Amino acid sequence: MFSSTLKKLALASGLAMAALGTAAYADYPERPITMVIPFGPGGSHDLNARVITSIIPTYLEQAMIVRLTPGAGGQIGTQEVANANPDGYTLLFTHNYTDMLTQYVENLPYDPMEDFIPIARVNAAPIGVVVRADSPYETFEDLVAAAAADPGGLRMAHSGNWGALFVPAAQIMQSHDVVMNLVPYQGGGPAMQALLSGDADVTMGFPATLGSLIDAGEIRILATAGEERMFDDIPTLTEVGVVGDVGDMHRVLMAPAGTPDEVVETLTAAFRELVNDTSFTRMMGRLGESIELIEGDEYQAMREQQAVAYEALVNSLTGQ
Amino acid sequence: MLEQLITGFGMAFRVDTFLMMSAGLFAGMLVGALPGFTTLLAMAILLPISFFLDPIVGIPFLLGVYKGGIFGGSIPAILVSMPGTGAAVATSRDGYKLTKQGKSRKALDMALCSSVFGDTVSDFFTMLMIFPIAFLVMQFGPPELFAVLLLSLVIIAVTSGNSPIKCLVMMLFGLWLSFIGTDPLGGVERFTFGLFDLRSGIPLLPMLIGLFAIPEIANVVMKSSKVQQLSAVTGERMTFGEFRRCFKTICRSTVIGTCVGIVPGLGQVVAAMMGYSAAKNASDHPETFGEGELEGIAAAEAANNAVNGPTMVPLLTLGIPGDNVTAILLGAFVAQGLRPGPQLFEEQGATVFAILVAMVFANLLFLVIGYLSIPFFSRIVQIKTSILVPVVLMFAFAGTFVFRSDNFDLLMLVAFGVFGLIAKAGKFDVMPMVMGFILGSPLEYAFGQTMAMGNGALLEFMFQERLGAISVLLSIPVIGYLLWRRLGRAPA
Repeated sequence: MFSSTLKKLALASGLAMAALGTAAYADYPERPITMVIPFGPGGSHDLNARVITSIIPTYLEQAMIVRLTPGAGGQIGTQEVANANPDGYTLLFTHNYTDMLTQYVENLPYDPMEDFIPIARVNAAPIGVVVRADSPYETFEDLVAAAAADPGGLRMAHSGNWGALFVPAAQIMQSHDVVMNLVPYQGGGPAMQALLSGDADVTMGFPATLGSLIDAGEIRILATAGEERMFDDIPTLTEVGVVGDVGDMHRVLMAPAGTPDEVVETLTAAFRELVNDTSFTRMMGRLGESIELIEGDEYQAMREQQAVAYEALVNSLTGQ
Repeated sequence: MLEQLITGFGMAFRVDTFLMMSAGLFAGMLVGALPGFTTLLAMAILLPISFFLDPIVGIPFLLGVYKGGIFGGSIPAILVSMPGTGAAVATSRDGYKLTKQGKSRKALDMALCSSVFGDTVSDFFTMLMIFPIAFLVMQFGPPELFAVLLLSLVIIAVTSGNSPIKCLVMMLFGLWLSFIGTDPLGGVERFTFGLFDLRSGIPLLPMLIGLFAIPEIANVVMKSSKVQQLSAVTGERMTFGEFRRCFKTICRSTVIGTCVGIVPGLGQVVAAMMGYSAAKNASDHPETFGEGELEGIAAAEAANNAVNGPTMVPLLTLGIPGDNVTAILLGAFVAQGLRPGPQLFEEQGATVFAILVAMVFANLLFLVIGYLSIPFFSRIVQIKTSILVPVVLMFAFAGTFVFRSDNFDLLMLVAFGVFGLIAKAGKFDVMPMVMGFILGSPLEYAFGQTMAMGNGALLEFMFQERLGAISVLLSIPVIGYLLWRRLGRAPA
């Protein structure tokens, strides 16, 4: 018995020796983690992050602190994380457009593909094409036909150039070879207001957050993003001929490239548990947000496809 | 509806509602008083707390943070000339002068009472007129916003200082500063000289602190090493007579603020300046404005708080958040299972009225909390100058830095501080410059949107669809001229 204890001790010390090499990260996280959001307060990323960071400490045993660093269309915050120490204590919570599209329209001080690795895609918000309930466009085909008959005559309200509403609209224009007049607004709220007041003919919106307007008969949805139908009688964008990863805003947590595998694994494990946490699912459900975890490697493949698609889109729109 | 209102009243009378509201008000006031921490950020951080509370407790808690934060911003503006937001700029002008005269308590009392009055009246008005307001909100699009912003700028230029020409020069400079950075519509970089830090434009906070606080600090330091204190006394409290004297101004500002709140995208900064300008215009002693006029504080504070009621309308009636504060409130609502929108009043009428009633209670509660804490805050000016000045300077730098932890902002702070000193020596008023800077971005954006809506054919589009905006634009020279005749040439 004595010898077996000794053996165990020897084994343990041997393991400890072996572990020394990675000891710096074995206890990760030892202090609070900063989650940088490159956008302003009050947006949907902010809301999602508040929910995530109020529950994930249960699984990481450390706090996760949100730091909002808006500016230059997300570049300021993204650059901050790109330059941060890759130790897992500074992470970036961003979305696919800022992540993969900005590089084709701006001269960035970082390289998104080289400087970041994805940790977890928490969810995706599928977008819908929205018109007023009294609009003459009953179906997606009506809308496209009207846009083809009067190039640039249809006003489409969006939330800013190369943003979450602009890009799917541009992708629809690209795939159906039509032109709409894309009018920018300072956020999705003002864009929806422009639709309701009659200033715009069509806009994009996240149906999950539009339930009240749909039920009240104020707006009509013509098509939704995603692989499956959201509403039984409304087609998906794929069904109406807009194919590819179109109209999903992927919310994704990234780390600076060079972050140790142990750290990535700890974070991934925490997110695996998070998405099954009942208070997390309840709260996200109330916010109208889905939960569909995609882990780092799988999302990296999606990023590569996005990069190709966005480059082609930017080239076709800016006529290069 | 009346039945729901009465049920709502009953629901709002809860001890925990009042306790959390008080906590929110106090937290908001503290955060608002610290430069660099915005009310918005405080709300975002405290939002998760409301997730775990009952709707009639959690949402009033956030509203408390919001209301407390707006008043909190006027505390450093009055005491040390450090406005943390654009909405407090007009307040700091007369407020700091009053502090130097040893009347800081009166100034803070007036700020509190006029804030609460403006807020309460606009909340009541909003409750009663929610559907007509919802209709009015829909009448404003980018062309109308552009016209109203331009009108505001002209009014500010001709009424804010003694020399309209100097004011106009400063305002144009402010407008130019707002163009620095990435063009919000086309994405073109302008005047950045290739500097990455300038891509997102010049930040507002370092500008405000630099222009308003640094010259005053320098002034205290340079004037005399023998001056022991900024002001030996905090003075007496505001008397009822003084409140009554300003009552007309408070009412006028409340109306102005409420109207400004109806126009989406205009906001508190415009309301405060318009209320201030109108009070100065109506006064038979306009020369005292800017020299420590209690009425000036009343005018600005009543107006910027009266904006709050109507800005809630698109959120409650359509579920559309017009700005970031209402976006956070939307988050709080939906997390509670309340869906703001056309059916909210039918589905959850009593709860919504309970929240609105709680808003009014929050105001009254705030009057008490604020009144009790003002003596504590106003004592700050009695601290010895040799201690106060370094502390204020530290807060100026720390506040600028915490905003987004960027060293570049500190350079901006120093640059604007130096600029403020030079402008002061040359008797140039920096207020029109700040207003030009703050309103420049929305003005440009609204113009770009109007251009986009017309597909480039601007005049055709405006005459076909937007006669309202055209009539506002045409009225600008007339209003500008009349105000210039009345105030611009008034003796200094």
